[in-house]
Amino acid sequence: MSAFGGGTNILVTNNPMASELFESTLQVEYLSASLLDVLVRVRNLVHSGHTLLTHPLSGSVKPNETHYKSVLLSKSRGKADAQSVQIIGECILAAQRFNARQLPARYLRDMQIVDLSIISSALETKKTNS
Amino acid sequence: MSKYKVVHYINQFYAGIGGEEFADHKPELRNGAVGPGAAFNAAFSDKAEIVKTIVCGDSYFNENLSDAKKALIEMVKGAGADIFIAGPAFNAGRYGVACGTICEEVSRELGIPVLTGMFEENPGAEMFKDKLHIVATSNSAASMRTAVPKMAALALKLATGEQIGASVEEGYLPGRARVNFFEKERGSKRAVDMLLKKMAGEPFTTEYPMPDFDRVPPNPAVADITKATVALVTSGGIVPKGNPDRIESSSASKYGEYDITGVDDLTFETYETAHGGYDPVYANQDADRVLPVDVLREFEKEGKIGKLHNKFYTTTGNGTSTKSSKQYAQEFSQKLKDDNVQVVILTST
Amino acid sequence: MKLEVGYIRICDISFAEATEVKEGTLYVNAKELESMVLEDERIAAVCFDIARPGESVRITPVKDVIEPRAKVEGPGDIFPGVITKMSTVGMGKTHVLRGAAVVTVGKIVGFQEGIIDMSGLGAEYTPFSKTNNLVVNFTPKEGLSPHEYEAAARHAGLTIAYTLGKLSAALTPDETKVYEFPSMVEGIKKYPDLPRVGYVQMLQSQGLLHDTYVYGVDMKKSITTMLCPTETMDGAIISGNCVSACDKNTTYHHQNNPVIEDLFAEHGKTLNFAAMVITNENVYLADKERSSDWTAKLVDYLDLDGVIISQEGFGNPDTDLIMNCKKIEATGTRTVIITNEYAGRDGTSQSLADADPSADALVTAGNSNQVVTLPKLDRVIGTLEYTEKIAGGFAGNIVADGSITVELQAITGATNELGFNLMSAR
Repeated sequence: MSAFGGGTNILVTNNPMASELFESTLQVEYLSASLLDVLVRVRNLVHSGHTLLTHPLSGSVKPNETHYKSVLLSKSRGKADAQSVQIIGECILAAQRFNARQLPARYLRDMQIVDLSIISSALETKKTNS
Repeated sequence: MSKYKVVHYINQFYAGIGGEEFADHKPELRNGAVGPGAAFNAAFSDKAEIVKTIVCGDSYFNENLSDAKKALIEMVKGAGADIFIAGPAFNAGRYGVACGTICEEVSRELGIPVLTGMFEENPGAEMFKDKLHIVATSNSAASMRTAVPKMAALALKLATGEQIGASVEEGYLPGRARVNFFEKERGSKRAVDMLLKKMAGEPFTTEYPMPDFDRVPPNPAVADITKATVALVTSGGIVPKGNPDRIESSSASKYGEYDITGVDDLTFETYETAHGGYDPVYANQDADRVLPVDVLREFEKEGKIGKLHNKFYTTTGNGTSTKSSKQYAQEFSQKLKDDNVQVVILTST
Repeated sequence: MKLEVGYIRICDISFAEATEVKEGTLYVNAKELESMVLEDERIAAVCFDIARPGESVRITPVKDVIEPRAKVEGPGDIFPGVITKMSTVGMGKTHVLRGAAVVTVGKIVGFQEGIIDMSGLGAEYTPFSKTNNLVVNFTPKEGLSPHEYEAAARHAGLTIAYTLGKLSAALTPDETKVYEFPSMVEGIKKYPDLPRVGYVQMLQSQGLLHDTYVYGVDMKKSITTMLCPTETMDGAIISGNCVSACDKNTTYHHQNNPVIEDLFAEHGKTLNFAAMVITNENVYLADKERSSDWTAKLVDYLDLDGVIISQEGFGNPDTDLIMNCKKIEATGTRTVIITNEYAGRDGTSQSLADADPSADALVTAGNSNQVVTLPKLDRVIGTLEYTEKIAGGFAGNIVADGSITVELQAITGATNELGFNLMSAR
């Protein structure tokens, strides 16, 4: 079943590092856009029937402290998954609560590394635990 | 230091004019303190003083909202108030709503600190506790003696611009904003104590009430919609042109029931929205966008539905309290049942 | 299991020729410690500093805080499976240098965080303004990846705390507490009329800067399991969590878990402290479902009457918290959850990212978005360079007079979700 991520799942990301690393193993949808845009794209995919596999507010780095977000969704499509719809909705609301602020360019790489680490860890636990 | 100038709002009853039969009393400005005002002055000691008291009937206020607001704002402005206090209203519903409404208006129009007091179950509390400081009182005027000092103390804090503490510290109803403060016990100890009470079935108070989940289980599916009578109900404020029942643009105090016998299409000339919470242009151009009478008439002709019910029910959802909404729905649901309506389509905005 | 913990009061800390404890003062030979740290080739340089309660000192960016402890009697040693060899701990006798702490500082990634002010307004919000701190600031070898740097800094901090903790072994405690944790059957026999209460601790486990280790096991790779609460007092749980200063559990918090202490305080009086369950907060949603299923299953299997659930971190752990709460309540076990809030600077936003009616008993550690202005302090240990970038800091927050305006999020331990502090919100 797709909830356990068989086959090539979809990675929606605006993190070039994640995009590059998973290019060959996942169906990467790279967006050159904001973190909120990534969440909105994820919501649209969820509404069209893809199941959320990772939590969109992964990490304790607040949505206004990083530019980058990588979210994994099932490749297969079914009826919109109620839990996924609820979670992504709440995440977008939560993300909107944080005031946008300027983040210095010299930390972009660090932000990418942390996001990459989180999504990689998720994929790793999936491999070990599922 | 000069004293803060306070303007106090009370209803006809507390001004000693009389009860319900005098509820139409028009706004009246009196000098100095009236009724409970004396207790406020005592509690302020020499830091503040009621300079003017506004007396207004509860019915007059609620039924002549915009006139009443206008008149009261002028009175408060004219008195050069530093702070505005309304009530306390205890459990008097219309008085509570009036206190909340006028406080909100004064705060918005004049930008001075405002304060009222009422019982937590007063409808005015539900409507305004997220916007105003409402000091929690008991449900009876007998507790005036304890309510006034609490209100006076908070009023002085608001006047001086002091940092306002958390609701439990200051005695106002929670809901306005989350405020940090230091408890006597650490969090883990509070958790242990709360758990002991919860396990024992004793009352306990959560430190963060979950948002109100008013979930309604869906009804069973309609067996045959081609035979069913379908009614339209909306909180989008669609009304016959001119808004004959004067449904308020927000915090509606009523709902409307309108006959659509023979109406196939809601047009610019015949219908409009009373709702003040969204851009009305598109709804006014073609009210079918909110209340789809046109499409249901087509369905009726094509036999897709049995028939469209000849009445629709409408109110503005904007700022209308859950309690009022429930009450309206209970009333017209019964009417719909009595009229043998099987299906209701609810449209919102 | 029975653990006796002896506390040796430390009232001051100072650099000296010999590393020792004399009359309540912890003396530290920094050179010795330096050479020990530099044995790890991943670390290029290390510098030591001292920060005492009441001093005009600001420490930032803080990575971890650790309490020095020593195993005096019984199996195993402090920080088992990490600094010492694997062996079950939590029995026998342990000594503590109470009032001393090792604070590790260093920029692992650029937007890291964590402020400890030793005086002024900020000191009221962090528990580590009350400890005598040995601050350790690491410089990594050039080119070291953030993962390796984090691991090296974590290891070095634990090693220093372990070394200092050793000093307590030979000392006579000023105060002793005994924590006795009976087996399940013993407990039921001994306290037949008391409600059986458990503690469910959720551990942050999401990847770089977000990990927690239990006997050296990366918690994100573990399923929900059980621990004897006294094991935490010997350092069975270690923090690798460097993000969200206000609500991360430092190693010090794990060593002094207040939920465990307060449940022990009532044990045998009003309740029977019967079990401790540890679970993770993973990124994968299927992991969240599995872990919370497992938590509820264990709680149900143990037939507990009530549990306290504590959370760690912001955002997605709210989902774990609510899943745990909902599923445990569904088994008929009563819950109280401890969390904190992100209600916006004005306190009017929705506080949690997830919610459920079953979460009807909640203890809050306060709103992390509250803004505070911290006065200029005479000395900064670490660097203020990152203060603008820390969670809760904001651009232009360093005012000309040297004061800084931040959200409470930036202050280490300010809204700790173990319920370590007095702060709350309404």
